[in-house]
Amino acid sequence: MSLSYRIAYVFLRNLYSYKRFIVPTFLVSLVEPLFYLITFGVGMGAYMGAFGGKPYLHFLVPGVLVSAVMMSSSFECLYGTFIKIVHEKVYDSLIATPVSADEAVAGDIVWGSFRGLVSGTLMMAVALAMGVAPASPFRFLLLLVFMVFIGILFGSLAMIVTSVAPSFDFFSYYTELVVTPMLFFSGVFFPLERFPGWMKTLAEFLPLTHAVRISRAVFTGEPAAGLGWSFAGLLVLAAVVFTISIRMMRKRLIK
Amino acid sequence: MIPLVTASGLTKNYGDLVAVAGIDFEIQEGECFGFLGPNGAGKTTTVRMIHCVSPVTSGTLTVGGLPASIDNRAVKMMTGVIPQEINLDNDLTVQENLVIFARFFDIGRREARARIAELLRFVELEAKAGSKISELSTGMKRRLLIARALINRPRLIVADEPTTGLDPQARHLIWQRLRQLKSQGTTLVLTTQYMEEAQQLCDRIVVMYQGKILKEGIPAKLVEEEIGREVVEIRIPPEEDGKVLAELSAFPCVHERVGDTLYFYCRDGHALMRKLIELDLPNTLNRPATLEDVFLKLTGRSLHE
Repeated sequence: MSLSYRIAYVFLRNLYSYKRFIVPTFLVSLVEPLFYLITFGVGMGAYMGAFGGKPYLHFLVPGVLVSAVMMSSSFECLYGTFIKIVHEKVYDSLIATPVSADEAVAGDIVWGSFRGLVSGTLMMAVALAMGVAPASPFRFLLLLVFMVFIGILFGSLAMIVTSVAPSFDFFSYYTELVVTPMLFFSGVFFPLERFPGWMKTLAEFLPLTHAVRISRAVFTGEPAAGLGWSFAGLLVLAAVVFTISIRMMRKRLIK
Repeated sequence: MIPLVTASGLTKNYGDLVAVAGIDFEIQEGECFGFLGPNGAGKTTTVRMIHCVSPVTSGTLTVGGLPASIDNRAVKMMTGVIPQEINLDNDLTVQENLVIFARFFDIGRREARARIAELLRFVELEAKAGSKISELSTGMKRRLLIARALINRPRLIVADEPTTGLDPQARHLIWQRLRQLKSQGTTLVLTTQYMEEAQQLCDRIVVMYQGKILKEGIPAKLVEEEIGREVVEIRIPPEEDGKVLAELSAFPCVHERVGDTLYFYCRDGHALMRKLIELDLPNTLNRPATLEDVFLKLTGRSLHE
């Protein structure tokens, strides 16, 4: 792989472009968490009693936090990148400069992760306003770092889909058949314990399950079983999908 | 003199399709070298290999003594690319397009600011620095592409059909700028389908067809060698060919019928023309031979699709 500091230039290009969309994207990133936290957290939570001695909202927030990161980084690396390749030809002009195709792709993954971080941070702000806070300021910072990592993981996964996408419609397969189901089978909205055995096993194969588990443990400060394994698994997965995404995009970009 | 670009046996395959079929050429420092050919001849593929965005299938290709391999940053650092397709960054302003490109080439902020001001003057876009790309005309966009290609002060400029879709004013302005760059010592590699463009700009050209180089030479000499000095066109029905050709058999001209027209390629078209006036043929034209005649002779007059 041909990666260097030039990844930062690609990020910078995206930042320049982002200036014009910052208000609408902030609004969307704010409305989405409000929607989740109010409907599920406040509305449904009212019927659910206490989860481990705390209101339901406290259970919900850490999971929704990483889901928001997953959503933002995925969409950026699906639609955002596709537009830059096919419609705007940004990649064509980029790879004719000393910036390599690998750097262009890595730069977009990092950018997707940044967009995830923005969404996650806004979500956190809303949660704080509703009185749900991480156990300590240190844990708050740790969560930010974790969000960047989760953004890179899901951004890379989305980039693999983009590398083979013939058109926008293709993305529906991934968002409707992978991303959305993952949201409901990963323990974001309710604990996985009551699932039948095979569903529990299935959930263990979903990266979001592990991301939620880690996020919840970091947020609440309550240790959970198998955290180390979850993290190790995600690390390996991230390294693998990042490498594959760059290889596959290179195939699409260099002919 | 050491050539700036050297290709030998240069080949490019896309799967089963042979886009460039083992061509050889040398481009000298400071000259303008043109690739001519119909659509699909392999011109763009060839220049894309020169500026290191498309890998070479086989053969060798060097730029400034370095192998033109994919992601060869040293080659990209000294090359400016004016692409066929307008791929300006529509999310950014004119100024920002250049600022971000300067970053891609590791050019520092202060230096970039100075170069951008100078380049916007050069392409007469100073007044548009803050404009969005969508507010520019096609001619302005093409000029901005030139400015962008010059941001790294390239030794080699690769211009892939740089005036496609432009009105005559805009086209002439671009030609002037490209000639100006050449006079400053920049090497120019041009692909074009406009013969006038090749004649205006190129010191040497190659005519490509189906991935091969059919002819190489200086434009004026190629015309002289392949066609002669003049062309006479006669628009008569094919049935009358026999009669007319019999009358003109004394003239040392090569003739060819294409569609509704009979072409004569001559050294001396005037004598032939006088004879034609005598024959009182209604629809005749005598004109100087051009590169277009060479091009059509070499690549055939049928459509290439």
